[in-house]
Amino acid sequence: MNDIAPYIILSALLFAIGMVGFLSRRNLIVIFLSTEIMFQGVVLNLVAMGRMHGHVNGQIFALFLLSIAAVEAGLALGLVVLLYRRKGTLDAEHWSSMWG
Amino acid sequence: MNTEWSFMVYATFALGAAAVYFLLPHTGRSTKTAGHVLGVAALAATMVLCASKFLGTEGANIFFYLSAVVAVGSAVKVITHEKPVYSALYFVLTVLAITPLLILQEAEFLAVALVIIYAGAILVTYVFVIMLSQQGGQPMHDRQSREPFLAVFGGFVTMAAIAGQMAALPEEKGIVGDFAVAAATTAINDRGVDNTSLVGTAMMTEYVVAFEVAGVLLLIAMVGAIAMSKKRVPAETALTPMPVPGKVGREVEPF
Repeated sequence: MNDIAPYIILSALLFAIGMVGFLSRRNLIVIFLSTEIMFQGVVLNLVAMGRMHGHVNGQIFALFLLSIAAVEAGLALGLVVLLYRRKGTLDAEHWSSMWG
Repeated sequence: MNTEWSFMVYATFALGAAAVYFLLPHTGRSTKTAGHVLGVAALAATMVLCASKFLGTEGANIFFYLSAVVAVGSAVKVITHEKPVYSALYFVLTVLAITPLLILQEAEFLAVALVIIYAGAILVTYVFVIMLSQQGGQPMHDRQSREPFLAVFGGFVTMAAIAGQMAALPEEKGIVGDFAVAAATTAINDRGVDNTSLVGTAMMTEYVVAFEVAGVLLLIAMVGAIAMSKKRVPAETALTPMPVPGKVGREVEPF
């Protein structure tokens, strides 16, 4: 017997914490770190669900998610460096102006 | 369904949400102390609640609780710390706290891969970028958060919705009806093969197309990252009057 409820609660907590950080922080790098926290919650959830059903599909999904996270980190940080070189600040508010 | 217990769970979530709200960077008077006190109280309340409910079940042993407390605490530190370098280092702690949970779930390969890729590769990239773009002193945007109350409220509602859905599941159907019905799981290792070889076999047979696509995706990302890093952008001085609409994009010479 394996109780899955604590794992789901914990992964939901991590996801919610990451969401709060994503919504409220203004530093571009911290915003991307918050998405990585959300990824951690999802990985934990996938593995626990896969274990509950007794197969490894959850783990394989999590491995693919890991490669996507690596791609996302590389490209997003490249974009952040470009944005920083243009304006000299990491503040997300400086990129909030959008005209039609 | 035990309504009193559900109410206590929601109260604990609200306590944690208040802690995150107070810990987020604010202008004016520092509310860090109140945030820390509330956070410790929320964690302790969660421990007591969980201990009263899950004690004796295999899925929630002492290792789970230790790792969970470290993971949640360091995750909160990641999103609330005013210095991005510390945020990144606390994120390493979160990854290292998730790892034992994955091992408890019989996912040893994934646990090690997580440490190597996240703590070893991705976080180095993050720290590198932070060092590259670190200004002197603490800039204003790190000491201020954007709509902290609404963000925390949104997170709390998400959390409460997930917990409420889990609690509302009927016991015979639900995986976690009333949070406590132990789901009968078949151990993956019953077949006498270890987990890593099962993952490898499935990856190379059933998911081989997706595996190749992931390789192509990594290649494309590498090409894109190199192209972006070679691109020249005109440096605007920060905090100057906003540029003419639509002008910025056209001024950039294509690579």
